[in-house]
Amino acid sequence: MRKRANVTGITILVFFLLLAILISMRLTGLDRSFPNPVGNVLQRVAAPVEYVILSAGRSVSDHWKMLWRIPRIETENETLQLQMDELMAENLRLKSQILAGLRYNELDQAQFRAPTADKYEQIGASIVNRNPSAWFQTLILNRGSRDGVAVEDPVVAHSGLVGKVISVSGGTCEVLMILDSEGQVSALVRESAGEGVFGIVQGTYDRSSRLTAEGNLQMTFRREDPVNRGDLVYTSGIGGVYPKDIPIGKVVEIKLDRSGLMKTAYIEPIVHFDSLEEVYIIKTVGGE
Amino acid sequence: MRYIRYLLLAVLFFFSLILPGTLFHFWSWGGVKPDLVMLLTIYFAMHHRSAVYALGTGIIFGLLQDLFLGKYIGMYALTLMVVAGLSFWLAGRWYRENLFLTLVLVFGVSLAGQAMIGFLGLAVGSLWSPTEILRLVLGIAVYNTILTPMTYPWIHHSFLYGWLRYRPKYER
Repeated sequence: MRKRANVTGITILVFFLLLAILISMRLTGLDRSFPNPVGNVLQRVAAPVEYVILSAGRSVSDHWKMLWRIPRIETENETLQLQMDELMAENLRLKSQILAGLRYNELDQAQFRAPTADKYEQIGASIVNRNPSAWFQTLILNRGSRDGVAVEDPVVAHSGLVGKVISVSGGTCEVLMILDSEGQVSALVRESAGEGVFGIVQGTYDRSSRLTAEGNLQMTFRREDPVNRGDLVYTSGIGGVYPKDIPIGKVVEIKLDRSGLMKTAYIEPIVHFDSLEEVYIIKTVGGE
Repeated sequence: MRYIRYLLLAVLFFFSLILPGTLFHFWSWGGVKPDLVMLLTIYFAMHHRSAVYALGTGIIFGLLQDLFLGKYIGMYALTLMVVAGLSFWLAGRWYRENLFLTLVLVFGVSLAGQAMIGFLGLAVGSLWSPTEILRLVLGIAVYNTILTPMTYPWIHHSFLYGWLRYRPKYER
């Protein structure tokens, strides 16, 4: 009898317990919110420890994965090393090309921008004659005093300096090219870093070819002056004839003097004087 | 020594509560992680001398887990109470020194406990598919069983001779 009563009691207890738990679960489901101070305290206490364990776990997991990846990483590393070497070589090539491009961009485009020259009026002129004598490097242009041309006016081509007007008639003018030994130009040699060294460009017309080391333009410097092959030569603007920053040429060779104190830079002109047909006269004097 | 026992119980429970979400997050198999609180409840119930203590431990552990999870209050309390009762009952009939029998016990009780969670979840309207329930029930039971050889000998020894050993009043 006693045993039977216990079974009934237990059954009833279990039934109500189950019912209570199901109701509780229903009331505290995923979409319900209810005050849970004990849970909050537990969460607050556990959070720092969980964070530490998670961080450590991530670290261990990453290192564990890394162990398995080592052979693959080694292969990748070798491949990347090769690629890096190739890219470094390519980078060097590109850098040199960019430097070259920076130096010669304006020349390659056969144009130059010289602000001090741009502010003057320029008139186009055609070469109507060249000096037949081998002693003088001059040109005759079809512009004269009627066009406002005056003695000492600079003459330029698309790519650089040609010379200056030395005589003017009504409809023509004569231009002394910088190739002539008398056609000296105050110049500035600019190295790749942009620093400049002043000097005088002189023509060496008595030489046979202007594209060799004995070419038609040269400058003389002190031995310690930072002038190197590939440097560009511009007008300096000093001297009052030529506006500043008109390209003249580039240094193609440098030779030490016998004394060892001086050096000579041989300059390849930018302008192809032999094939020159049209030029511009900058009316620095005639325009005034 | 008595307080050390309870302190150790609390520490074990605490880490059983947080390790599945942290450390075992990295060692989960297809989302299956062990139920360490259930495993701990099984161990405790196996070593309690009284059914009431075993059931009480199960209810307290389950309720704390429910509160920690913050949802479905009572689900783990009921489940772990049943798990503790079942473990206590089986441990009294099986030779608990035998690791193989303990493995069978852990697997069977874990299976029953996880199945109960699945059942209770369905009863309150959880949208779990039967396949998913089966996968999780089996997966967690297997995971708990795998962890048993690594944890049971140590905890069993502690219950018999170490800090977790129950000391009667006269001994204290």
